[in-house]
Order: sequence, then structure tokens, then C-alpha cells
Amino acid sequence: MKVKILFLFGMLYASQILGQDDLLNMLNQEDAKKITYTQATFKGTRFINGQTVETVAKKHLNFWISHRFGALNSGFIDNFLGLDEAKIRLGMEYGLSDVWLVGMGRSTIEKTYDFYSKYKVLRQSNEMPITLTMYGSLATNTMPTGYILPSGNIMRYENNLQRQTYMGQILIARKFTDKLSLQIMPTILHNNKVESVYFDNNLYALGMGGRYKLTNRLSLSAEYYKNIVDTKTFLKTSGAAYPYQDSFSIGFDIETGGHVFQLHFTNSKGMIEKHFIGQTTGTWANTDIFYGFNLARTFSFEPDQKNKQ
Amino acid sequence: MRHLIVVFALIILGFQANGQLYMAQNGEVSFFSKTPLEDIDALNKQVGSIINTDNNEVAVQMRVTSFVFPNKLMQEHFNENYLESDKFPSATFKGKIREVIDLKVPGTYAVTAVGTATIHGITRPIEIKGNVVSTGDQLTLSCQFDIKLVDYKIDIPKIVFAKIAEVIRVSSKINYVKK
Repeated sequence: MKVKILFLFGMLYASQILGQDDLLNMLNQEDAKKITYTQATFKGTRFINGQTVETVAKKHLNFWISHRFGALNSGFIDNFLGLDEAKIRLGMEYGLSDVWLVGMGRSTIEKTYDFYSKYKVLRQSNEMPITLTMYGSLATNTMPTGYILPSGNIMRYENNLQRQTYMGQILIARKFTDKLSLQIMPTILHNNKVESVYFDNNLYALGMGGRYKLTNRLSLSAEYYKNIVDTKTFLKTSGAAYPYQDSFSIGFDIETGGHVFQLHFTNSKGMIEKHFIGQTTGTWANTDIFYGFNLARTFSFEPDQKNKQ
Repeated sequence: MRHLIVVFALIILGFQANGQLYMAQNGEVSFFSKTPLEDIDALNKQVGSIINTDNNEVAVQMRVTSFVFPNKLMQEHFNENYLESDKFPSATFKGKIREVIDLKVPGTYAVTAVGTATIHGITRPIEIKGNVVSTGDQLTLSCQFDIKLVDYKIDIPKIVFAKIAEVIRVSSKINYVKK
């Protein structure tokens, strides 16, 4: 008991002469009670083709220019290893709030317009292990009816409703260390009209992606989409092999000031889910590999603080 | 029972002894960097600080991630590339006011705080001149000082060098309430 009283006296004495270190400790204890949110799980709002959990900050606009050259195996004389041809997607996305964005784009492939929205539901913090973002999109095909698909089938449309494709994804990511972030994305894709009776209107897929920061401004990223398709039944009923493959892409993200450059190799030519998940015909084994790049430029429409004051 | 009374008496005494602390939770620290190409300014409104008027010792603590930039991409770069806030989450100052003054007495005082600042994991001695306005129950501290980026090993790559000044002007305004 005497010891305790002495200890209390000691504390009392100490509190009277709280030094700078004690004061700082008090502040640090106060600070530890606050929630710490994880920042920058990924550099950009997309990996390569697919989306990451990241959204655009409020009143910020991202402008995307994406290119995919022709296949590396398309010949040197004929096609300069694919560089003679290019498919492009131009896109824009705008942050309505810090967790909600809307975007649109237009792809060369099948002359497709896409409209999408992402909403960040959960944010990783010291109390929450993951970031969860909901993502939905609509793709509208504006090709003249009766064109030939890469699979060889002919696509005919009778009305505009048949030209729509809907896609929903749940993006779940975790920043494990300051360098490594991983994400999984269960996906459902619905085509209002499919190319033949043997195809299902609904396509399910499970995506996986990740990035590893090599330096502060350079990171390696990859993504893979496993299509959940019963290819054996398809072969039995239609008499032909299922024409579409799983999509795999790998590349580098390079960040310079207001730009993000993404340079990559992928077996998908398309840059929206309908194309790269649903209609990838190339395989890595056959070197049907497309070299491509994405370029993102961010613009801020937030007024400067000094103008506000 | 007797012990309990002693303990309570001591705790109460202890609180009285703490009466000389002035605390702030929402102090403001901003910085400004001006170059021909680009002006960069950011504001942190969640700065914690304590002044012990018994011995005039001061501590300031802030989270690097709480600095708000008008341009969010700049904010991300500030955290990810320059201040590396995953590794070094907070910036702190601890020190002592050199002047022999009693801040509990209302009035305006010119003060010089001498101590150490820790930014980006680097601790360096620093001297900050400022102004304290006391009403007895509340203190308002305002000060301005310059931070040289090389002193705290904050690397700016050559290509963006022209965009970021080598010396950053830091301004601070903190309102303290008597505890």
C-alpha cells in the first residue's frame, strides 16, 4: 500500500512538471483514437482493362486515352508486329463525390458506347480490413446489323434493346503493405442478344488483380478473369469449341505528375468488360498478344483554397 | 476505506496540478510553395497541440494525411511520393518557449519556441518565432516559418523540380483551451 501511495505521489509530482515528451505522448495517445484510412490502394481507377476499387476525388475529371495495337503474331512485313493497326477507347470519368463517380467512353471495337458508375461502399482503415466498391455499366453496340464477329458468327439486331449489354461487379481490395495490393471481382455480364442459341445470355466470371510497387512512381500490375462457362456442354450441343478465352493482362503503371501511363501486354483487344471478359479470342499460348497503353490525365475543378478565403 | 480517500484526494490534487495545460485539437497548419509554374497550397485543420504554462513547454502533432490539397492527385503524390505517410504518418514538434512569461495572464506575447521538429522521419532542431494572444482561459498561437526540403530528406525528382519550391513556407494558427 505504501508503495502504491508513493507511486501516486510520483504521478502527481510528474503531472506538475509535464515536459515536452509527456505532452507529445498525450497528443499521440489522442491521435491513436482517430480512424486511419488507407490511402491509394491503387494508382489508377483501372488496372489495365478492368476497374480497381479507386474512384475519382470530388470535382475531379479523369480523361482516358486507351490504345491496343494489333496482335504480336500478325507478322512483321504484313502488320509491323501489330503496330500498323490500333483500336482505341476514349473515356471520361467524373467524381460526383469522393466515393462516387460516373463515366462514359467510346470504343472502336463494335463501335460501342459505354456508360458506368462506381460507388465506394467500404473504405479500408484500421477498423475495416477491405475496400469494397460497387461497379455497374451499360454498353451499347452501334454496329450496322449483320456483321461478322471474331468467332465467325454473324450478329444481327432487330431493335435497339438487343444491342445493350449490362455488367455488374463487386470489387473487393486490400492494401496488404505499402507495396502490395490485391483485388477480387465477382462479375455478371448480361447480353440482351447473344450470337447464337448455344450461348447463355448471362456470363459469370471471377476476376483477380494486383499491383506491386517497384518504386514510388512505377508499379507492376496484372489482372486475370476466369470465365465460368461449361465448355464441354457447349462443345457437345453446338459441335464447336467455345470460342472465347479467359483474359490475362500484365503491365506497368508509370506516374508522372498529373498523368498515369499504363503500358501492357494482354490477350484481349477490348477495353470494356463486354469485350475483354466476354469476347476475348486470343490466347497467350498462341502469342495472340496485344501491346497497348492507357494514358490518364486528371483535371481538378476544385477552386484553390486561397480563392475561397 | 482510508486508502480510498487518500487515493481520491490525490487524484483530485492531480487534476488541479494539470490546470496549467492548454490543449488544442483543431489547430490549423498550412503550407505554400510558389514557383513560376505552379502554386501548391495545403491545409491541415486537425492539428493537436498542448502548452504547459507551468514550464512553457510545447508539443504539436499532426497527421500528414490530414493535409487537404485542392488537387487530390497532388495530395496523393504528397503522401505517396514525398512525405511517405505510410512509413511516417505524423509530423511533430516539441520544445520550450524561451521567453520568461506567464501565458495565464491575459495579453499579447511575442514568443520563440526552441526545440525539435520531426518530419518524414527526420528530427532536426528548429526555432520558431510567433505570437500568443492570451485571454486567460484561451490562447491563440500564430507563427510562420520556413522548411527546407533537403533538411528532411524529401526528394523531389528532377522532372518535377521546377514545380515544387525547395523551401516551403509553413503558417500555423492554433486555438488552445484551458484544460
